Amino acid sequence: MGEDIITDKNNPTNEIQHIYREKTDKRILKKNPWKDYGLHFTVLVLVIIAELIGPIKIPITSGVEVSIMPLLYTMVLGLVFYLAKPIKWIQRKQSRVAEGAMMLFIGILIAKLAVSSGQSMHLLFEMGPALLLQELGHLATILIALPVALLLGFKREAIGMTNSIGREPEVAVVVDKYGFNSPESRGIFALFIVGTIIGTVFISFLTSISVSLIPFHPYAFAMASGVGSASMNAASLGPTLAAFPGLETQIEAFAGFSNLLSFSIGIYIVIFLALPLTEKLYYFLEPKIGRKAIVEEKEGE
Amino acid sequence: MPDLIDGSENITVHGIFNWILLLAIFSIITVIGNYIGYKHPITDSLIGMFILSLLTLAGVWMERYLPFNISSIIYISVMGIILAFPGMPTSEFVSYYVSKIELLSIVTVFLAYVGIGMGKSWNEFKALGLRAIIVTVLVIASTYLGAAVVAHIVLVMTGVPV
Repeated sequence: MGEDIITDKNNPTNEIQHIYREKTDKRILKKNPWKDYGLHFTVLVLVIIAELIGPIKIPITSGVEVSIMPLLYTMVLGLVFYLAKPIKWIQRKQSRVAEGAMMLFIGILIAKLAVSSGQSMHLLFEMGPALLLQELGHLATILIALPVALLLGFKREAIGMTNSIGREPEVAVVVDKYGFNSPESRGIFALFIVGTIIGTVFISFLTSISVSLIPFHPYAFAMASGVGSASMNAASLGPTLAAFPGLETQIEAFAGFSNLLSFSIGIYIVIFLALPLTEKLYYFLEPKIGRKAIVEEKEGE
Repeated sequence: MPDLIDGSENITVHGIFNWILLLAIFSIITVIGNYIGYKHPITDSLIGMFILSLLTLAGVWMERYLPFNISSIIYISVMGIILAFPGMPTSEFVSYYVSKIELLSIVTVFLAYVGIGMGKSWNEFKALGLRAIIVTVLVIASTYLGAAVVAHIVLVMTGVPV
């Protein structure tokens, strides 16, 4: 029952990492996970289906369209395959193998981002301080969303939910730090799922309202549009470009680089600033405004 | 959790073999998706995935075998940045082949495993419900506006003209 120790408040981080690492090792090193042909073949089929369909764009009003990316299909279909009763070859065992394998595959994602960061190092110096410093603006979420999450009854889930915008790199960081079955990871998974589904639409609306109401520098909106995923970036760019005609090239450049920064430098801000800050604020606020837990602490699985 | 009870496993050559095979499976699926979705040539993509897999393998190996308590994410990131840094002899080769792998191709495969892996926690997700939606909306709004406010202040202070 490794999870018991995860709730130990005095010494959370090192213990968790150790336990989770051993658990991943047990899962993927002992059980010959590559032998689970059904699992990997299913993933292959899901990926082929998803890539064949490609992104779907649903226009809502002029300038606002919801885009659904293939990555959303595979995740949702994977979940559906697990939950669907007739699919006998994706069961709890495969789910555990997938979980162990996923911990290894985070490495591939991180490696890709690291190579992109390395390549774009020179652009960092050219683009000036605004791009870098706006990354610190992301920390606003901790000050605003964490107290609300606590008032709504979240416990340690709130640490995962409010430290960042919760896209793939941040999910990877939180899962790596706290372990797959920790409350923090459940929090960021919830944020990720909800954000994937409503995030693109929401940021598009938010941008339309912001550019018409707030008299900020056009480049500031361009940089802010890169805070989330690539599809969120695109959704936020639409209204920004429409609001500032004649600045298309610059706005696109800043938005693209800001998104690249969010995906590369962003994870280091999460590791070294956002997560420690969120934890500090959590332990300060939780005794004061925390409610009764709405999700019971679970033992093991 | 019965599979945690037997605690005497050591990572053996066989274990590393498991890592390599899993990375190979992941690479093949990603390359196929990358070809269907973005039409990148299969040979280039395979070399790109080989580089990323090597970095991953080195990172997870270092996390477990080097006597420091450092996450594999840090090892992998530092190695990746150094290899791709302009001016390094490896830079051109690594950047070229890795750029043939779209980030979204990797994420698409990765999230299929995540979807299957998170199936076990579905009931807890359902319990999060409306509250999770409220928090998510707040997180996105405050992150977006936080970034805009800071960018605006810095742009004005450094005198960037509109």
